[in-house]
Amino acid sequence: MSKKEITKREGEIKPSLVPPILSAILSAILPGLGQALARDWRRGLTMFLGFSTSFGLLVWRFQSAARRDVGFIDIFKKAIRIEPILIWLTIATIAFWIWTIADAYLTAKRPPKKAVGIFLVMGIVFASLGWQIGQVDLVKLITEINDAERAVNHVMWPWSRAVTRPVEYVEPEAYIQVPCTDTPFAQPEVPEGEPYLISDPTCGDLAVLEGERGTELTLTGGNFIPGEQVTIKWYDPLKVSFTHRQDGEFMQFPVDENGSFEVKITMPYRLVPPSASEEAQKWTVFAQQVIATGSLEPSEELKLVVEKMIETIFIGMMATAFGIILALPVSFLAARNLMSASPVTLAIYYLVRTILNLVRSIEPVIWAIIFVIIVGLGPFAGILALTIHSIAALGKLYSESIESIDSGPIEAIQATGANWIQTVMFAVVPQIIPPFVSFTIYRWDINIRMSTVVGLVGGGGIGYLLIQWINKTDFRAAGIAVWFIAVTVAILDYISAEIRERYV
Amino acid sequence: MLEIRNLTKIYDDGTRALNNVSFSVEDGDFLVVIGLSGSGKSTLLRCINRLINPTEGEILWNGVDLAKLEGEDLRNTRRKIGMIFQHFNLVKRSSVMNNVLSGRLGYTPSWKSVLGQFSAKDKQKAWDSLERLNIKDQALKRADELSGGQQQRVGIARALMQEPEMILADEPVASLDPVLAHSILQYLEKLNQEDDMTIICSLHYLDLVQRYATKVIGLKDGEIVYQGSRKDIRAMTDREFKDIYGEEAVRVGGLEGDLSAGGDQS
Repeated sequence: MSKKEITKREGEIKPSLVPPILSAILSAILPGLGQALARDWRRGLTMFLGFSTSFGLLVWRFQSAARRDVGFIDIFKKAIRIEPILIWLTIATIAFWIWTIADAYLTAKRPPKKAVGIFLVMGIVFASLGWQIGQVDLVKLITEINDAERAVNHVMWPWSRAVTRPVEYVEPEAYIQVPCTDTPFAQPEVPEGEPYLISDPTCGDLAVLEGERGTELTLTGGNFIPGEQVTIKWYDPLKVSFTHRQDGEFMQFPVDENGSFEVKITMPYRLVPPSASEEAQKWTVFAQQVIATGSLEPSEELKLVVEKMIETIFIGMMATAFGIILALPVSFLAARNLMSASPVTLAIYYLVRTILNLVRSIEPVIWAIIFVIIVGLGPFAGILALTIHSIAALGKLYSESIESIDSGPIEAIQATGANWIQTVMFAVVPQIIPPFVSFTIYRWDINIRMSTVVGLVGGGGIGYLLIQWINKTDFRAAGIAVWFIAVTVAILDYISAEIRERYV
Repeated sequence: MLEIRNLTKIYDDGTRALNNVSFSVEDGDFLVVIGLSGSGKSTLLRCINRLINPTEGEILWNGVDLAKLEGEDLRNTRRKIGMIFQHFNLVKRSSVMNNVLSGRLGYTPSWKSVLGQFSAKDKQKAWDSLERLNIKDQALKRADELSGGQQQRVGIARALMQEPEMILADEPVASLDPVLAHSILQYLEKLNQEDDMTIICSLHYLDLVQRYATKVIGLKDGEIVYQGSRKDIRAMTDREFKDIYGEEAVRVGGLEGDLSAGGDQS
């Protein structure tokens, strides 16, 4: 060590190939060239790579900030107006360049000390570039943090979506003829004791043009459940329902203590195809009360989450099971101590190892996308994706534990007169079982966590549900899923840690 | 009676570990093999029970050439030869009891042993062996929870399960401190004297050799450079010692049972 250091020092003491001034000039033209000619090629190369990378990135940032501009001056002006941080970056890069020149001069003049300053400058330049490229904006993070409030609150406490009560609808109807003809609908009789809705008149015109008002109707209702909200809704002639809007607002109000109300509405704006308006059509207006009956019960979302959570756990389990079965034979092929006997087996070893490394470096999400194409959406695609990844990961871990077995006990058991199978059972198996069990449980743990992720791309399980709710911004429902995932993963994590600790 | 004739072992890489080694061991001898690391001691011991196959030569034990045995015959002969090791070679994660019972594998049918079924007689025998070596109370612990000296006693108990006529001990005390070394060798001496087992043991400490050996051979570069009786070893000269251990060797001690002075191996 010390001997080597001394020879290295001696090498540096050799005089520079060029005088200091020339070295500085050369580094000004091509950063690092001066240092290289001053017999410190390693330093020169670092300078060259460092400077050219940061300069290249700077040019790229200028161009991407001012995409439509041409000409050096225009691009520069536009870019610093949009991204003021680029001024600082330019100054830092120029400082870096000047420093490189100074460093070249000093390197040629005398053997340099450790290059702390220049690397500090290089570090600052790259950190600034990273700040700009990564669009770091701490101010935005602080000032707009409130935007997340609703989503976070819903995710954190989603339980209002977890329960529901069965409901009954009270929705008496009134028919409206559109447009009015010579024979409008007759007013229905008011029934005794039953909810009713009466419209006056019973015919009218829709608002056909934007901003135009339709015919005004007076709706009278009675025998509703007192005090409860009522909503005015429509069915068009095709029985498609929509909620009535009066001046942009939904019509929703409580009925009085007698269970009756009277409101004026204007008929809605609807575009009707010309063919449909040739003869009179029957539209329906109705007043809807939603009455909760019975006791609380789990909501559809909660049931789905539980169902898919179970599916998720089983995806992880099946993937682990398939993974073990296939990883076992593979691991023997990937164990160096078993495969180094002949060039052929050694070649197989390298091949298997390479394949395992390649497969392992591709994330399960990517595998899931591939398998979704093959077997379609659903849990099987997820199982396949996780299986492939598990084989690669377990194969490596298993083979490493096979490689690390102690040959001593094998020798000792053979010496007792044991035969081959007895030697394997008593000397080899006891050594590999504990690490195998440990790695397998660990993998199961990972697979459960990953099965959520493969679900995001259609691999079945709760992830599939979660991504749909997030896309619908239904954060309460998504919150239920998040809670279940978190609790399940935590429990399994604890169990697997406990088992591994006891067993190994 | 064990008689080694012209034993030679050449490894695949061309190393000549043993070169034309011949000697004989009477039943009931406590033979100690001395020599530097790499002098061929381990190879010699492993050739006797055929953990290593010799290249040439004969190993006559009670008239049978062990070098020619194969398969079932070899395994049946191995049962009669116990072996203990420098690093104990226990299955660390298995219990002490299982390690000891594994000494009985040569007498147990495969299917029974694969299921972990040992006869009640074997189990009783295991308890007896553990009791004899004073580690009965450790029987249910995992082997790696025991100290070095205790692990080596488990190793001896495992060898005893074989009901051996001969015990090969490959530097059984090299991983232990001198006091423990003494106690382990006393167990071997007891087996030698009380049970009439032949012991072939490789050792480094000259003091221990002088204390326990009834017969000594010295190996250097795979060849026998010294043969002597108990009397000879006590009168061993510096010259003879240096022939075996090299010019740099310093003779230490020589006092019977004075273990604190021993242990110089370089």
